[in-house]
Amino acid sequence: MIEVDNVTLGYGSRNFITAVDGASMTIGRNEIVGVAGESGSGKSTLMRAIYGDFSTGLRLRSGRITATFPDRAPIDCSEMRKTWWQDISYVPQGSMSVLNPLMKVHKQLIDGLPKHKRKGDRRAIRRDLETFLAGLDLDPSVLDAYPHQLSGGMRQRVLVAIASYVGPHLILADEPTTALDVVVQKRILLMLVEIQRRLGNTLVLVSHDLGVHYQIADRLIIMFKGEVVETGPTDEIFANPKHEYTQRLIGSLPRLGTRKSTVTALRRATP
Amino acid sequence: MRLVNFIAGRIAVYVMVLAVGMTILFFVPRFAPTDPVDAMLAKIAVQSGYMDASQVDALRASLSDTFGLDGSLLEQYGAFLRRVFVEFDFGPSLSMYPTPVMELISNALPWTFGLLFSATIIAWVLGNFVGLLAGWKPNSNAGRAMEGLAICLYPIPYYIVALILSVLFSYVWAIFPLTTTIRGAPWSWDLVRSIVWNSFLPAMAIVITTFGWWIISVKAQTQALKEEEFVRYARLKGLSDARLLGRYILPNALLPQITFLALQIGLMFNGSLITEIIFDYPGLGLLIYKAVLQGDYNLLMGTISLSIVAVATATMIIDFLYPLIDPRIRHG
Ligand SMILES: Nc1ncnc2c1ncn2[C@@H]1O[C@H](COP(=O)(O)OP(=O)(O)O)[C@@H](O)[C@H]1O
Ligand SMILES: [Mg+2]
Repeated sequence: MIEVDNVTLGYGSRNFITAVDGASMTIGRNEIVGVAGESGSGKSTLMRAIYGDFSTGLRLRSGRITATFPDRAPIDCSEMRKTWWQDISYVPQGSMSVLNPLMKVHKQLIDGLPKHKRKGDRRAIRRDLETFLAGLDLDPSVLDAYPHQLSGGMRQRVLVAIASYVGPHLILADEPTTALDVVVQKRILLMLVEIQRRLGNTLVLVSHDLGVHYQIADRLIIMFKGEVVETGPTDEIFANPKHEYTQRLIGSLPRLGTRKSTVTALRRATP
Repeated sequence: MRLVNFIAGRIAVYVMVLAVGMTILFFVPRFAPTDPVDAMLAKIAVQSGYMDASQVDALRASLSDTFGLDGSLLEQYGAFLRRVFVEFDFGPSLSMYPTPVMELISNALPWTFGLLFSATIIAWVLGNFVGLLAGWKPNSNAGRAMEGLAICLYPIPYYIVALILSVLFSYVWAIFPLTTTIRGAPWSWDLVRSIVWNSFLPAMAIVITTFGWWIISVKAQTQALKEEEFVRYARLKGLSDARLLGRYILPNALLPQITFLALQIGLMFNGSLITEIIFDYPGLGLLIYKAVLQGDYNLLMGTISLSIVAVATATMIIDFLYPLIDPRIRHG
């Protein structure tokens, strides 16, 4: 679905600072891809380039990123904008200020959609939103809430809901659970997995926390100092890490024992 | 709960402002070296020639009464507050005797109110609109030009702009009237036209001196908001520029502008007083000016008390608009 071919990314034009150096990878259909690596290793930069967000000085110096969505001709990342909130959506890190403080949640749920989906019978849209939220185990009362009335965890779940209501082929989530406590974090991970299983689409989850990837990712991409150093199925990488950095990363984790139970529980819950 | 706190707090401030203002207004003339009754008596004596002692005493007693100078200081203070807040009575005007001061004020107030209200709305809407666009595209030529204009305009005082407008458009090119004369039957088109025609230059003077400030402050707001996370997120949702500006930036940029409006209204009121004097506009400013020139003590006390009440009330009403826009105060 996404083809990243020997891409070098960085910031600034006169004093170009490299953030991602010669990265290549493939993101396929119907999978959960985890992107791991310490902070500053270029994960966010790579995600922004895939999403086609070339604001604040981000530049693609060499290589190319191509997206092939169903029912659409292959598209270069520089034109990705056309597919925003249709084929592709993203989940930002839910800080206090990521939602418009003066707008109720239900408006922010639909205002990224194309016009024909946004406009129309209000009550029908409302009913659809309520059913959708109920499916995600979210109370319909959040629709009429303002952002400041939501807790941090609830706000993050709303952001996940906003990105998935679009029903896109690809969802990018950059550190969606960072800064949340473990219980809430788990809930959001379950929500992401469930949505992915239901839509059969692709989820790219960025996290510096290998524990998170261990719980839900089908495949892993390990980044280190701006380079992709290792890719492969999660189980394989955990069983047999090849790169020295990956070995260090896995060695530093506390005892792991939840993967099988989480994944099988999820698989059972969502046929 | 936050809303209740907000309103209660605001009303408490209102009461305090009025109490302080009225107390100062009460005490200042009493600390003045000259006794207003003696001054008045001297003036009347000059105008009417000889008066015998009993006439002088009778006049002194009645003046003392109209000035509220009878009884102890506390009694005087109580009587003063009653006049302002309960009876709305400041006695007769001394320079336009025996017309009651309240009648003069109630004739003048609609003019000042109308002028200030329309000029403020025009300046605020225009300034916010221009500032929003200038802040959205700060590096465009139009954006730079608008900011330059704003920076040039906003330090100029009211009376300079008023004088320039008056000289240019009433004297050099006699397009607008030099002084204000309103003609036309009540509730007729002619009357409306006459009012608009006569109010145009004074209103423009206020608009020109204030709207530069609105441009500058809303432009700064807009530029800061453009970098906000929620605006960035909305842009990455694919929202068009128009919807980003209209639904995300504008409402958030207007919030502080409401507070600024409340802070500015006192200054704008002062400005409109000066403007009225220059254009001979029949409002409160002209009335205060006449009261000072002619030593009309009652009229002065009446107009100033009313100005304090009017500005304090207007400020509070504007502040009450805030929770209508900001849900963080509405549903705390
Ligand atoms: N807007 C920016 N302007 C300049 N440099 C940036 C910007 N964003 C990130 N960088 C730099 O790019 C490098 C990679 O950052 P980032 O992609 O955010 O890493 P990660 O998401 O893995 O923490 C870092 O050295 C960071 O300082
Ligand atoms: Mg990051």
